Amino acid sequence: MTRFSLEDESVFVVIGSGAAGGTLSNELARKGHKVVCLEAGPRLTLSDIVNDEAVMFDKLTWLDKRMATGKPNPQFPVWGCKTVGGTTMHWTGACPRLEPTEMRARSTYGELRDTTLVDWPITPEELAPWYDKAEIRMGVTGKHGMPFLPAGNNFKVLAAGARKCGYIDIDTHNMAINSISRDGRPPCQQLGFCTSGCAISAKWSTLYTEIPQAEKTGHFELRPESMATSISLSEAGRVNGVTYLSGGKTHTQKATGVAVAGNVVETTRLLLNTRSARFPHGLANNSGLVGRNYMRHFTIQVIGVMPGKVHFNRQTHLAGVVRDERPHRPERGFVGGFLISTVPFSPEILAKHLLPGGWGRDLTSVLDKYDQLAGLLMTGEDPPQLSNAITLHDTERDANGLPVPVVHYEDHPNTMAMKTYAWKQGRKIYEALGAEQVIEMGDDIPATHNMGTARMGHDPKASVCNPFGQTHDVDNLFISDGSLFPTSGGCNPTLTIVALVLRQAEHINGRIHTGRL
Amino acid sequence: MIESHMTRRSAVGRLTWAALAAMTASVRAPAASAPVPDVRTASTAALFRSLFPHDRLSQVFYTRIAAAYVAELGRTPGALEQLDQGLGKLDASHIAPFLALPAVIQKSLVEQNIHLSFLAAALMRAPELLYRDPEVWAMIGYQGSSIEYGGYKNRGFDDIDWLPQAGAIT
Repeated sequence: MTRFSLEDESVFVVIGSGAAGGTLSNELARKGHKVVCLEAGPRLTLSDIVNDEAVMFDKLTWLDKRMATGKPNPQFPVWGCKTVGGTTMHWTGACPRLEPTEMRARSTYGELRDTTLVDWPITPEELAPWYDKAEIRMGVTGKHGMPFLPAGNNFKVLAAGARKCGYIDIDTHNMAINSISRDGRPPCQQLGFCTSGCAISAKWSTLYTEIPQAEKTGHFELRPESMATSISLSEAGRVNGVTYLSGGKTHTQKATGVAVAGNVVETTRLLLNTRSARFPHGLANNSGLVGRNYMRHFTIQVIGVMPGKVHFNRQTHLAGVVRDERPHRPERGFVGGFLISTVPFSPEILAKHLLPGGWGRDLTSVLDKYDQLAGLLMTGEDPPQLSNAITLHDTERDANGLPVPVVHYEDHPNTMAMKTYAWKQGRKIYEALGAEQVIEMGDDIPATHNMGTARMGHDPKASVCNPFGQTHDVDNLFISDGSLFPTSGGCNPTLTIVALVLRQAEHINGRIHTGRL
Repeated sequence: MIESHMTRRSAVGRLTWAALAAMTASVRAPAASAPVPDVRTASTAALFRSLFPHDRLSQVFYTRIAAAYVAELGRTPGALEQLDQGLGKLDASHIAPFLALPAVIQKSLVEQNIHLSFLAAALMRAPELLYRDPEVWAMIGYQGSSIEYGGYKNRGFDDIDWLPQAGAIT
């Protein structure tokens, strides 16, 4: 095992080990750079992963105190992970690309009131080869010769109903879940517990791909259960170390450069909590935009009580997609679009979320027909609003003595219009097949797609990072997670995060080689 | 209306409740090998059935879940007192104790008291106790953990047979 000294100033420190941090660590280590990855959570092994949602929720979830105002659940606004692998442990593996029109949101949609819509500072053409690299790396199905996953029951219901509604762009989705043995990992066995960690490692997670690969280089050290609390700054205004808590003690790792990939809430907290004379409002926050423009896709569901058995829990959760509503068609009454995917729920989750706060026969008559249920999930574009923001509470402190993050979020009217339309379309899909009953489920499961709080751009006054995720204010400080997204697009963000990070790794590599880091 | 006749509540003594509870339990579950529950547990069981009514689940089942809930609350100071006060409100109809009332009246009493914190707590925890239970899973057709059986890849993940063109979809 490689070990680096805390005093080693040539180490590049990556904070977070998920899709962004795990991949960036591996990529830099493979290029020969010394990397220390600080991960707040513990390192699990495959044998720790069981098919039990409640048990895995406790093992994987970030449960440190958080607060919220506005729409989110005030105690649990964001559903993230605190474990090696980060949210790649509980993600569904869905890997759609951003649409070119989404990356040109401002040009495509025009002005949208009370938003900070912009075009991405990277063109779709520039990002395309990085998407290719990310898809090949992750083994995305339906791309680069990787076969699609097989069609399960819940997908067959979705596809049949969608075709009756006139939809045509339908398949088992581009998934970072093995359809064949690949990368030393087996094909999906249809366990049906994707969001509880994949017990057989068919689903791409940095825990058993990027992290062990990085360790093999001899240039990488993972420090689990190490919670970064602040980043130190030299006289010259460059970052030169990261302070973290581990084993009840405070340590400081010296660094030649730092990349923050803690997922949006923690990345924001770390920057805002690192105050100095030079940066009184938080590190790299001269723009005042760190934590602002917080975006999260809506995730709404429709459940159909179908005329026959479906057993929707018995397949890869999201292996099924209808893309026809994704394009921008303003005649629907909103800008942007959404994806329709398959989704199952366990009985307990349905009992709690089917009819929020619900009880009685309205609820149990549906649960009684659990094996007849089909489910679909709709995820749509969320326009950036300056007022949606993550801040730090003035006085509340968590168990580590750190200020508690406060998430403020409200739906934009565009989002509400899109949701209303989406529910109606989702309902039609199951009604077309003679569903006995159709239930529209609200947007009440905490956000898992978090974006926008350190947006990329060319103008240091209007963005936090440049198009490589390098902060405008501090030359050797990088942001690597979904915080970078200037707009959210209408699809799951992980593939885009990985593509951006691969591009960022090459940029960092170039800067090190030219002596600029 | 029902709540205004609080005086009748005092006429219904604890011993009477216990007798009713035992009677209700034995009537609904003839194979009454389970011990007779105390009043608190029996009332909680009636509440759980009112919140999450499944005709195919026995009174013995609801009593078992209620007993687990009561035991949990017993580990939190003040929680049982809050439950008892809440159950007291449900018992405050002028007709009979909550657990002896017809389902339709129980439902109406729950509706009237749904804002009370003891009910909010029950609505949070009861679904976890109920819908994590293998007996419920067996009833509704959910199998829980699948890894020990190799998942559903060779066990019907794609076996749907009633769709219009199921075979044609790939």
